[in-house]
Amino acid sequence: MPKLDTFTLKIKTGERGRTSPLKYTINGFKLDFEPELGNTEPEGEVIVSGDPMSFPHTFLLIGPEDGEEPWDIAGIEALYNCADEEPYTIHMGAVTLEDDADLNIWHDRPTQIFDV
Amino acid sequence: MAAWFSKVFDKEEKEAPTDAGKTSTVEKTEEVVIPKTRRVVQAPVVVDESAQSAYSDDVAIKAKVNDQGDLIVFMVDRPLLEGRSFWCPDVETAQKTSPMATAIFNVEGVKSVLIHGMNITVGRDQWTTSTWGEQCKEIGTEIRAQIKSGMPVVAPECMDSLPDTETIRAGLQKVIDEQLNPGIASHGGIITLNRVEGNTAYITMGGGCQGCAASSITLRQGVETSFREAVPEVGAILDETDHNAGSNPFFNELPAGM
Repeated sequence: MPKLDTFTLKIKTGERGRTSPLKYTINGFKLDFEPELGNTEPEGEVIVSGDPMSFPHTFLLIGPEDGEEPWDIAGIEALYNCADEEPYTIHMGAVTLEDDADLNIWHDRPTQIFDV
Repeated sequence: MAAWFSKVFDKEEKEAPTDAGKTSTVEKTEEVVIPKTRRVVQAPVVVDESAQSAYSDDVAIKAKVNDQGDLIVFMVDRPLLEGRSFWCPDVETAQKTSPMATAIFNVEGVKSVLIHGMNITVGRDQWTTSTWGEQCKEIGTEIRAQIKSGMPVVAPECMDSLPDTETIRAGLQKVIDEQLNPGIASHGGIITLNRVEGNTAYITMGGGCQGCAASSITLRQGVETSFREAVPEVGAILDETDHNAGSNPFFNELPAGM
């Protein structure tokens, strides 16, 4: 597992948006994102980032808290910048976060496929 | 966890004034708020379509190396075997049964060959001095040449001599019941044989195996080895488990907030 220095998430919201501030956890520690660009209103798009400088055993985008409305995520583009490696990007598809769910946002570098 | 646990059982003693100006000890219990259990969900990872094989007049082959670096999967743009899969553990077997496997074994450092559908999975000898990059190119060249030659991938008489599906299924089920499940029960795991198609086995790894970081080792060193010893004719052994949905793996990740 590489050491995750910094990351950036571009999150597209679907039909149901979210009003509460976005947070994430890394290895159980809850952290704020760096200042957000954009919004999480319906059909909106937000770019958030962080610099955990840590090995991401668990790396979660915290979903709506207890009693909040579900949040429809249309897609996420995640850019990971790990120590001693080239940055890489993962595209995640649509998912809905209920008020008891967090989203795993850690994905290893995709297996390299090449022509032979 | 210890913090809210102590709130439940530890009673706080507090001194309060009485009418007579004296003090007495009263018990006060704080309201307990048990944190709601949260779950972790996965979003589907969208694969870049440009990485997929595109059909052309030439034979297009893509290669992928597993995380451990001991298996290379070659994805060919056309079916190689219909309805059956073929496992070849050594060069002697290959020379009797499969021109394709024989050609692949000619490359240095090849330990095993599995042909299934449009894929050929090659096991690498751990002591080989060849890099997997070199092996990929050499094996790709051999596969392409064999397909263009028009030779059968596996000799027809070899495929015809394979036992029927029910015989293979019964043999594998016996291995699961008598060897595998009693062994992994101590880890809370269970192996289920979902079905056998041709000679390809589809299994699910449940209980403590589901989502376990060591499940791939259990599959390859435990399940595959036992299956092939008992039923040498079994071809591909495919794990259909959704390991992302595991709720109680033996080696679990830390839950959020812990």
